[in-house]
Amino acid sequence: MNFSAEYPAPSPADVTPAQRAARDRVMLYIRGLDLPPSKGLRLAARSMEEEPSSPGEGMDALELLLDKEGLLPGLPGERGQNIPSFPPLNRSVMVAEEMDRVPWRTSFFRFLRRWRRELFGRGK
Amino acid sequence: MADKDRIPPWRHTGSRRRLLLLTIVLIPTIISANTMARLLPDRGSILLDTFLVAVFTTLFAWISVGFWTSIAGLVILLTKRDSFRVSRACDGLDFSIADPAARTAILIPVYNEDVKRVIAGLRTTFASVRQTGSMKRFDFFLLSDTTDPDVWIEEEEAWYRFCKEEDAFGRVFYRKRTSNTKRKSGNVADFCRRWGKSYRYMAVFDADSIMSGETLVRLVQIMEARPDIGILQTPPKAVNRETLIARVQQFANHVYGPLLAAGLHFWQLGDAQYCGHNAILRVEPFIKHCELPRLPGKGPLSGDILSHDYVESALMCRAGYGIWLTYDLRGSWEETPPTLIDELKRDRRWCQGNLQHTRLLFTRGFFPAHRALFINGILSYGSALLWMAFLIVNSAQAISEALFEPVYMPILRKFLPELPVWRPHWAVSLLGSTTLLLFLPKFLGALPILLADFRARLYGGKIRLFFSILVEVVLSMILTPIRMVFHSLFVISTLLGKSVGWGTQSRDDRGTTWREAFLAHWWGSLLGICWATVVYLIIPSFFWWISPITFSLALSVPISVFTGRAAVGRFFRKAGLFLIPEEVDRPPELAVLDENLNMPAPYTPFPFSRKQGFLRAVVDPLVHGLHTSLLLRFRRGAPSKEHSREKIVEKALASGPDSLTRKEKTALLRAPHHLRELHRKVWRLGDDDAAARWGLVPPEKE
Repeated sequence: MNFSAEYPAPSPADVTPAQRAARDRVMLYIRGLDLPPSKGLRLAARSMEEEPSSPGEGMDALELLLDKEGLLPGLPGERGQNIPSFPPLNRSVMVAEEMDRVPWRTSFFRFLRRWRRELFGRGK
Repeated sequence: MADKDRIPPWRHTGSRRRLLLLTIVLIPTIISANTMARLLPDRGSILLDTFLVAVFTTLFAWISVGFWTSIAGLVILLTKRDSFRVSRACDGLDFSIADPAARTAILIPVYNEDVKRVIAGLRTTFASVRQTGSMKRFDFFLLSDTTDPDVWIEEEEAWYRFCKEEDAFGRVFYRKRTSNTKRKSGNVADFCRRWGKSYRYMAVFDADSIMSGETLVRLVQIMEARPDIGILQTPPKAVNRETLIARVQQFANHVYGPLLAAGLHFWQLGDAQYCGHNAILRVEPFIKHCELPRLPGKGPLSGDILSHDYVESALMCRAGYGIWLTYDLRGSWEETPPTLIDELKRDRRWCQGNLQHTRLLFTRGFFPAHRALFINGILSYGSALLWMAFLIVNSAQAISEALFEPVYMPILRKFLPELPVWRPHWAVSLLGSTTLLLFLPKFLGALPILLADFRARLYGGKIRLFFSILVEVVLSMILTPIRMVFHSLFVISTLLGKSVGWGTQSRDDRGTTWREAFLAHWWGSLLGICWATVVYLIIPSFFWWISPITFSLALSVPISVFTGRAAVGRFFRKAGLFLIPEEVDRPPELAVLDENLNMPAPYTPFPFSRKQGFLRAVVDPLVHGLHTSLLLRFRRGAPSKEHSREKIVEKALASGPDSLTRKEKTALLRAPHHLRELHRKVWRLGDDDAAARWGLVPPEKE
């Protein structure tokens, strides 16, 4: 009986846990970007070409590719510009008007001021 | 522009009508007060009797105003003759707004709300406005004062997705305020300062408000035709709730609401009140005249004016503009609190806001009608305290009569004893007139419904309509004592400067648990049990008179739980009770809202909930990119601030997102560079456990 035929020999194509983690991380990021499937898978495949051995290496490779393609999710639209979520400002001043809550206190002085206006014309 | 010095003709009519109201309220009140005074035992304390008569007089006058308002409203609705109806300005017009400069901003202020519901409401109103063909005249603003970082991100993403789906960029805007100055009124004022000049009108919504496009166009048309109007208020209809207490409120709003709205319009005319939402305002005078000051001093009656709407309407009126109520316009909806506890949480805020108005009663320049509205608001809660005091003093008097021997010869020099005289017919007539004032308007509310449709199809039929009114009356009588004790507590605690702490109000039909109900109502139940026990032991004959109050209080906990159950509400609905037209004949806007609420959640490959906004802002590349691009200021902060933010990033990487406090999350969300750094580092985490805390490890690996 040929025992060696029962057990497959170790193959260079076996994936290490670190490579697996890198692959899963890159795929998750691609899915998060919600790109068209062919483009997303192509980018993922290209970022895996150098056989990254950690999620960090995989993400570095992916980031470079995304940057080249202009797909780095920093700023939608042209890099450096903000999305305006509100229109251009058109400022005005809004100031609280006088609210004399205790008019009886000032009624005497207001009466005097009105009397002075009536006697001598408009004051300052 | 309104001319302050010219008195509009409606003001003369309004003054004459209010004089009539004063007369028809005062005369029966004086007669009833006199009857009450003569009913009280002669040998009672003068001070106590005076107190009882004064309280009774105030309460009687208070309920008389409501009664005559309903009568006036009934007359208007039955005769359909109202020469001051503001909506006649748009009679016969199509749904277009001729003047391109007549632009309206629809403001939706939000504060830690259910984002899905807010966006569904926005989507509904947006679609309805689009259908009118007048979309170019309207812009929408989501004005966020949200303090919860998770909700903040959820709002941003929801706004962006909505604009993408509806092609609404440049039409629907989102603004997040960094500080919550002056709460909702400050939120609206901030809009006015930044963009107010670009709009002639603004329509203010609540987070749960819906208005149809047609109604919004009509409001603008009326404002265009009437430059003297500063604020135009619609009477929103309560809809979309399933709990028993909310369904009862909805039913009452539909049956009695039109009577009250028409009646208020009759007495107030252009001196109506603004309710803070579902209304349109003229922006220019609002900016010029309606900014609210802070009330000086310390304590709950100082600081920001909480019930800003009443004060804004008084200020607008002082500036020479009218505040009108369009009682006949439909297409305006809101949602009521789903449980008794949520209603009481809301009332706690409103109570403090209304009591603040005591400091504004004598403000120079306010019209008497608005001072009366302030008093009306104060009495909305103050009357509960007065009523409770009345009942307690009455009980105390009954107990003292049972415990102490009567004195028939109070003055020794008198030769004849003073025997008590019992006048039962007076007592019965007083009770009867009070009952009439309270309950007749409820049944009169059915008259306009029957005139419009004798079968009352939209309310489940005539028999169900009347039965619903009866059951509503009974339920109101059961709930009123519970509200009375809470409102009394709110008034006392506000005046003493104490806060009655509660969490935020719920806006969904999740119900009240037994634990929540016990924690909220145990003291009211204890009060009811003790009150009933003392009265029963000492004066059993009085026990049955006071039993409606004491039984309700004693059973507060189960009442709160059962009235807050959606299943109980649905049972009544199946029985055809408390039906409203919107349930029988669903308006298109509400049908669209139902569809919008059931829209499937958008795609996400991440295992965590959409409600974990902070986590998504760090992890989800699209949400991260959107958030950082919405942050306007990319300036780096002071070195100490930068250092503290670096520390937060390190903490987050070491211990995961759950280790951060709300303040730390908000600090990071406001610092795009540090957020970007965290985003890059999280995606490069090599440790499975650390990565799993950020949702980056597939579920089977955990």
